Amino acid sequence: MGEKSLYSRRATLSLKISEFEVPPMQDLLIIGKRAPIGPEAVRRMAEALSPEQFTILKLDHPRIEAVLVRNSILQMLDRDVLMKIVLEEAERLIHDTMVLRSELKITVSVEREVEL
Amino acid sequence: MEVSELMTTSVHTISSGKSIAYASERMNERKVGSLVVMDHGTVCGIITSRDIRASHPNRIVADAMTPEPIAVSSDQFVWDAVKIMDRHGIERVVVMDGDRLAGLVTREEIAIKLSQYADPLTGLYRAPYIQSIGAKFLKRGQPFHLLFIDLNEFGLINKRYGHPFGDDVIRAFSDRLAGAVAEGRDFLSRYAGDEFVMITLGNETEAEELVRYAAQPVAVGGIAVSSAVGHVDVHRESDFSKLSFRDVLEKASLLSTSRKMSAVAES
Repeated sequence: MGEKSLYSRRATLSLKISEFEVPPMQDLLIIGKRAPIGPEAVRRMAEALSPEQFTILKLDHPRIEAVLVRNSILQMLDRDVLMKIVLEEAERLIHDTMVLRSELKITVSVEREVEL
Repeated sequence: MEVSELMTTSVHTISSGKSIAYASERMNERKVGSLVVMDHGTVCGIITSRDIRASHPNRIVADAMTPEPIAVSSDQFVWDAVKIMDRHGIERVVVMDGDRLAGLVTREEIAIKLSQYADPLTGLYRAPYIQSIGAKFLKRGQPFHLLFIDLNEFGLINKRYGHPFGDDVIRAFSDRLAGAVAEGRDFLSRYAGDEFVMITLGNETEAEELVRYAAQPVAVGGIAVSSAVGHVDVHRESDFSKLSFRDVLEKASLLSTSRKMSAVAES
């Protein structure tokens, strides 16, 4: 009679498939001073993935080195206004080794009165 | 002495897209403290071991390097290179001849060499410094004025008041001369015991002012110390391009002696 083995080795695979968003970029990336990826690398990455759609803004800040911004946002908002808001919010969260990503939605509400 | 005589020509380079970790390994392998960053044959930065220590190893060189590094040309004087390094607070400069990377020179390499030229009493450079500068200007066809400044009766001062006092006189006199030096225009050395040589690229009026300034007596410990100044305007010499520095120095030295003799005869 042959020897019956009880040993079994199996692997279970789990596969999730979803659509890859092109470009796979957020509206803003906030780069810490000692983050593993620096502004130039981020700029090159953005340029490779979404040519001419992002601008890197270098900052004089104790923890934040630069912010990558989608150009279309800069067309809608003044750069200084945007940076003031971003810094105010980001500096509460960020450590200088981190890179934060952020989505920014701008909704413009217009209400006008006209003479009838 | 020119930068080309001291620079390292085998410069190690790296491209800006490489990682800091790779740059660090490369520096360790090559046993160097810096790498020149080049992209497509163009120098775009320099990365040092200090930059490496301050950066995350995952970063790329472009994010840790000093962009647009300070550069000197290989035919610049090493003392000018040191001044540039002092002004920018850096330890090394890239040597560029036009757009071509020619080498790299460090403050340490220059300091070791220049210490051989420094005069410990006055802090001025000694004769080889001024010889090198004068010879270079003559080679370039650059006119200049040379002042040979010889203290009067310095031997007598030493004998009468002692050598330590003589040292005080030399120091006071050199400080006074150094105070008149305009950076980039004038070059001063303690040529020998009580003799100083100054080269100036200033115009005739500026050179004459320097002659008058150098000839004014200086009071040291209540003793008035004067000097005899021999002045040669190289531009006025016939065919100055054929002159050697020795010729110019000799003429200025003899003029100084002649002034000294005239002063003695008048007194």
